Amino acid sequence: MRTFLPAVAEQLFRDIQKIYEETTQIPDDLLIALKFVFGTCALQALDLVDQRSVTCLSSPSGRKAFQVIGGSGRLYTCFLSCHYCPCPAFTYTVLRRNQGLLCKHILAVYLCQAMAVTQQESISDQQMSAVL
Amino acid sequence: MKELEISGYVSDGDDLGCTLTSSKLDSDVFSLQSGEGSKKSVRDWLTSAQAMLQTPQKPMDRQFKTPEGSTKKKRKFKSGGLAERLNRLHCRQRSAISFWRHKSISDTSVAAATTVDRPGVLVLEVLEVHEESSMQLAHCEHQQPPRDGHQERNAVSEETTRMLVLFNRETAAQLIPAPGDVIHIYPPWQSLSIEGFICPVILSTHFSQKVSSASKPDDMSLPKIWLSAERRLPYFLGQIFGLLDECKTKSEGRAKQSKCSASFLSQVAASDVLCTFGTRPCLSLLEAIEGLGQAGNVDQDVDVVVQRVYSVPMADYQHNSVIDKAQSDVSLLSNVKQLLSARLCVLVQDSFGIFSTVRLQPLSSSDELHQYCQMWQGRTCVLRGVKVVERVTRERHSRLFSLIDSLWPPATSLKDHGNSLSILNEIGSPGPPPSFCYLLSGHQSSVEPREGQTVSPLYLHPASRTLRDILRSEAKSCRCSFIATVLYKRMQSTDVGQGEVWLVLTDPSLQEEQPERPCRRTVALCVSTSCVLTSSVLEALNSPAVCDMSFRDAIREHGVLLCAEQSVIETTTRQDSLSSSEPQVKTLPQPPRLDSLSLETTPNSLCSLTGVIVGVDENTAYSWPACNLCGSDNLEVSAEKPQNFHCISCKSTLDKPDTKVQLEVFLSSSSLGNCTLKVKLIQQHARIKSILRDLHDRLLQLQGYDVESVLGKEVGPLAVYVRVVTRKPALWMGLEEICLQAWLSNQPMW
Repeated sequence: MRTFLPAVAEQLFRDIQKIYEETTQIPDDLLIALKFVFGTCALQALDLVDQRSVTCLSSPSGRKAFQVIGGSGRLYTCFLSCHYCPCPAFTYTVLRRNQGLLCKHILAVYLCQAMAVTQQESISDQQMSAVL
Repeated sequence: MKELEISGYVSDGDDLGCTLTSSKLDSDVFSLQSGEGSKKSVRDWLTSAQAMLQTPQKPMDRQFKTPEGSTKKKRKFKSGGLAERLNRLHCRQRSAISFWRHKSISDTSVAAATTVDRPGVLVLEVLEVHEESSMQLAHCEHQQPPRDGHQERNAVSEETTRMLVLFNRETAAQLIPAPGDVIHIYPPWQSLSIEGFICPVILSTHFSQKVSSASKPDDMSLPKIWLSAERRLPYFLGQIFGLLDECKTKSEGRAKQSKCSASFLSQVAASDVLCTFGTRPCLSLLEAIEGLGQAGNVDQDVDVVVQRVYSVPMADYQHNSVIDKAQSDVSLLSNVKQLLSARLCVLVQDSFGIFSTVRLQPLSSSDELHQYCQMWQGRTCVLRGVKVVERVTRERHSRLFSLIDSLWPPATSLKDHGNSLSILNEIGSPGPPPSFCYLLSGHQSSVEPREGQTVSPLYLHPASRTLRDILRSEAKSCRCSFIATVLYKRMQSTDVGQGEVWLVLTDPSLQEEQPERPCRRTVALCVSTSCVLTSSVLEALNSPAVCDMSFRDAIREHGVLLCAEQSVIETTTRQDSLSSSEPQVKTLPQPPRLDSLSLETTPNSLCSLTGVIVGVDENTAYSWPACNLCGSDNLEVSAEKPQNFHCISCKSTLDKPDTKVQLEVFLSSSSLGNCTLKVKLIQQHARIKSILRDLHDRLLQLQGYDVESVLGKEVGPLAVYVRVVTRKPALWMGLEEICLQAWLSNQPMW
């Protein structure tokens, strides 16, 4: 009962990372493949990436989290160690209906990581507690 | 107002089905997602909707329609960014997919046999299908080794012919892959090699077609097969897709080595159209327009063939300055008005077969249309600086599509969006005519013929046919072009430009001596107000003389000929391609043969009639004197000699003026049984005199004529115009005698 899509996704991200490192460009075919695999949230995620909406928060105690500024201006906190996003799309599409792998925020996180355009920010432990 | 939180889009499956039939480009404005929005946001929406309804005074809150920063589809992406680029690619792909699907639906039998040999086509047999996250994954066996055209970097060796093929929701719904099925996947598709996987993974499988199925279509197990595409449990959320533990910015990142092997996503034979961004003219209207994403100016130049040049009436008649400059002759004024309200229009076709009409500048003189026709029709031109008005479909624009149908199938083979660029001429059959057409608007310089071009191979010349051929054609409605002799004209209003004009036409094919299969001798044609008439045509229509005219793209429907929009009428003196040395009108028998009046005669036709007078309409009978020389009715009693008359128009004195008679009689014809025929006889004195000598003499006396002496008199054969036919309560025909103008004589017809 093996699932394959995660591996497909992972490979795509790797490919993006590699090619972006070399050329600072993502070729058209990778974009198309992203759209194919992730569907509608690919476009939105890319928009978030264009806007540089992903920030990696780190605190002195070593905790890290990702914060994504969503389309409406809201902040969504996503985790490193597992896929979770507080946005309603994640709840419904990914969790409840199992119709998507990711929501656009998590996808944006992956893309920003692949392209190494995640903003970095340090916050205090107290602030980190508040965020998490 | 609570901020609305709309996350997630309507899935793009909604768009695919609509592309072909929507009449507006991209009509999405605001869509509340079905089921994907959270309950909270639905409640928000309801609350805000209620608030809006209760407070109508409040100005429409824009936030409601476009929630702040919400990922509404129509928000502009960052220019030059990834999202914008993907959007453009996706729009094009979507169009190519719907175009391909439309074609492949009509083309199924041909496709299977002939296109397998094309490089880049994957032939797969499905072994097992399962579903993950709304995609269907099929383990397949590849049935042919890849061809040379295949650009995959990690070539699939002959042993590992297994492949994992991904289908997105829309493709899967259409395909319903099941074990045992054979599927063809056409390029462009993508192949991904995953580290640790033996099989390549096939992506972007939009152009897929099931060629054979293991299960029969009416097998009841079909729904089971759909369900049996088992859904794999969602992946464990703790399984991340790499990368998340790498917290690095651009500056740090270079050193980090990627663990993955040199496996790249490779694209197989993507069609040329996906990659053209440059300045070279594009060959596809669909790409240029659909790539816009919304209605607006088309920034790309497109190469097209001008199939037809015509003019369309414009709404406004206000061209005061030009009317002032026009000649003061009042009779021409209406003609000028007619012309000024015409706009040049062309019907173009790109090399993929898509049509578009382009409305251009207003015409300033009637010669212009002919000139543009000469310059452009049949040539390849560059279309630039046009704006998209609409995309229309067959249902609402049947006249336009009747013209498009007449230009289908195309003269040469067309290009194909969905297939590899190397094979341009291999379209077996072009399929059905397009179901949509663009309406564009441009200006004076929007159409520019390419240099050094003669006639494009795609051009379909309006072939001239004989009337007999046209009348006998079995098509219910079609476009036809022909040259005909106009025997009779009938204007609905005195101002020619305003109302309908009815013409009665004939040509040698209808007039021939003893046809094997009898056909009618004349045919009626209606010129509707949407058909623009040039000044030479108007002049010809205004004069009583018989003439030849050429009709291009007239419509034949319900057995009647019609000239409407896109039809062009020209006098034959303009025709450059007169094959015969003498004009057609002179080759016809004189007087022309007419059908006899019969029970099936339709209005607006010319017939010949012989009958017996059975009644006279005394209410409408009268006579009056007229001038012998000029025909005018303006006579005065001469001052010097009271017996004589003086004509005011030509200033001559008349000893014995002519008499004009208006007389309507009822005829009975043996062939027409119980039909009442009321015939208005011609005013011309000489004519009546030769037929109804006695009656005429008696009427001259103005009183005391004896109706009984007229009754029973046989008349005919008369040439009559059937003005009106009513069938209830009984058959009644209103006829008008006409004089078919003698071709060569100068007998005036007053």
